[in-house]
Amino acid sequence: MTRAASIAIVCALLVATRALAQLPQSMTTLELGAPGPHWVWIDDEAFYAETDGRAYLVDADSGEMLGMLSTGLQFQNLQFPRAYDHIYSAETYYSRSTRGERTDVISIYDPHTLAPEGEIVIPAKRQNGVPIPSFTGMTDDDRFMMVYNFTPKQSVTVVDVVARTVAAEIATPGCALVYPGGVRRFAMLCGDGALLTIDLADDGSEQSRSRSTPFFDLRSDPVAEQGVRLGSSWLFVSFAGMIHSVDLADAQPRFGTPWSIVTDSERRAGWRISGAVHLTVHEASHGLYILMHRGGPETRKAPGTEVWVFAAAGGPRLRRIRLVEPGNAFEVTPDAAPLLITTKGENTAAVYDAVSGRHLRTIRELGLTHSLIQALPVRTP
Amino acid sequence: MRRERAAKALSRRLDAWVESGSRGIAQRVSSRRGFLASLGGVLFGAATAPLLPVARGADASRASGPDESKLHGAAADPKNCDYWRYCAIDGFLCTCCGGTTTACPPGTELSRITWIGTCRNPGDQRDYVVSYNDCCGKSSCGRCDCYRNEGDLPMYVPPKNNDTIWCQGTHSNAYHCTISAVVGVAVQD
Repeated sequence: MTRAASIAIVCALLVATRALAQLPQSMTTLELGAPGPHWVWIDDEAFYAETDGRAYLVDADSGEMLGMLSTGLQFQNLQFPRAYDHIYSAETYYSRSTRGERTDVISIYDPHTLAPEGEIVIPAKRQNGVPIPSFTGMTDDDRFMMVYNFTPKQSVTVVDVVARTVAAEIATPGCALVYPGGVRRFAMLCGDGALLTIDLADDGSEQSRSRSTPFFDLRSDPVAEQGVRLGSSWLFVSFAGMIHSVDLADAQPRFGTPWSIVTDSERRAGWRISGAVHLTVHEASHGLYILMHRGGPETRKAPGTEVWVFAAAGGPRLRRIRLVEPGNAFEVTPDAAPLLITTKGENTAAVYDAVSGRHLRTIRELGLTHSLIQALPVRTP
Repeated sequence: MRRERAAKALSRRLDAWVESGSRGIAQRVSSRRGFLASLGGVLFGAATAPLLPVARGADASRASGPDESKLHGAAADPKNCDYWRYCAIDGFLCTCCGGTTTACPPGTELSRITWIGTCRNPGDQRDYVVSYNDCCGKSSCGRCDCYRNEGDLPMYVPPKNNDTIWCQGTHSNAYHCTISAVVGVAVQD
């Protein structure tokens, strides 16, 4: 053996020894760090396999999936406290998947580990349907979570998420869904076009209620049930494109003067609202984003082809964003450089610059049938 | 697929709407809503079972319904989303899942609590009240997803809302598919 060959063999052995020293590799389960500005949850009702609801956490900047929650039968939406120190989810389970004993719970997830950290058993009567965020709501101090029930008796379960107990069940005949508006207040939409406002006592029980006169005409132009909150107000859009605002700050709700999102010529051309989620808002800029398409009188739930952006106080329209694929639900991130994320209800989501409207990327192969996109809350410092 | 299919169907209906002129359609829609507003309270919460020929099988029950002999194409095909009775449906057609327009597939449970639509039978140009009943207790059928919204109102008007899971009063809320039984002739108010 030559001297050079001997040196080569010694070097090879040293490299192999060094490599062996790194084995076996360690294994672990990741935890998440501080949320990025463009992290969003994409909720998946799994309509074709509805026992298997899930929610995907995605970084819209990279298009990468960061993690997932398994959320049970007929999943609707996640509920975030403002501090984003927990994730709450109203969920339904049967002891034999689709049969047996029904148990409804508020599952509590750790936003860093995405593991369940607890649960609160609630009355097994929560509403199920095409998801919108108002199936649940949370008081402004993050103390109570409200869950809308439909059996078809209508009621609201008030859950104390701090004590992790059910605080009360409040009968709400004729009124539906939950629109929070204060530390101890929420509102509901009623079947005659009225608004029911309920104030809670500090123990979560009903303290008082008031019912307004109808604030829209159910026969001629009803409002869609999906609304957005801006400050102390909720904004709703009617089938014909009128924005109705309700401010819950005072003792009695104050209704703003309705204004139109379409001109007469646009209305004649068939422009109208779209999707399961019609509205979202960028609170810092007071930008109201509305999913739109051209269609006939009964097409308000058809997928949208454009997003129109308005000054939320009553217009004017600021811009139109043409979508690269139809949108059934959408969201705008709350930061200063917001992204717009849309989904057509399948397993892809499109990401746009919410200001320029430029399409940035499309996220593919994510779940089954997306239902909602939920931005993380603006965190209080 | 669900939403894309809905988009195509809605696009077809938009074409029809443009061709026929919006005013007449709008008036008809408005009067339908008026009718439903009064009828909904009557039907909501009440079992429509006595009106539903669920035990008679598909052919027998369809024979007892409206005259469909003059229908053609998709409007005559109960496995097609454009079948005339499906004007306000949201869900999987039970006709594609082992059931019929009036009978749930084997092993599922019929929900007696329901939402209703008012659909025009193009064969006789009459409007009929259609009861959409969910079949429950199994996971999603997953076939023939159909989403139409004529006369549909938001969830705060439950008897006329098709976005609600109507597996109510059943042993299980798990949703499988939807049937569409004609329960009466619509009258204008």
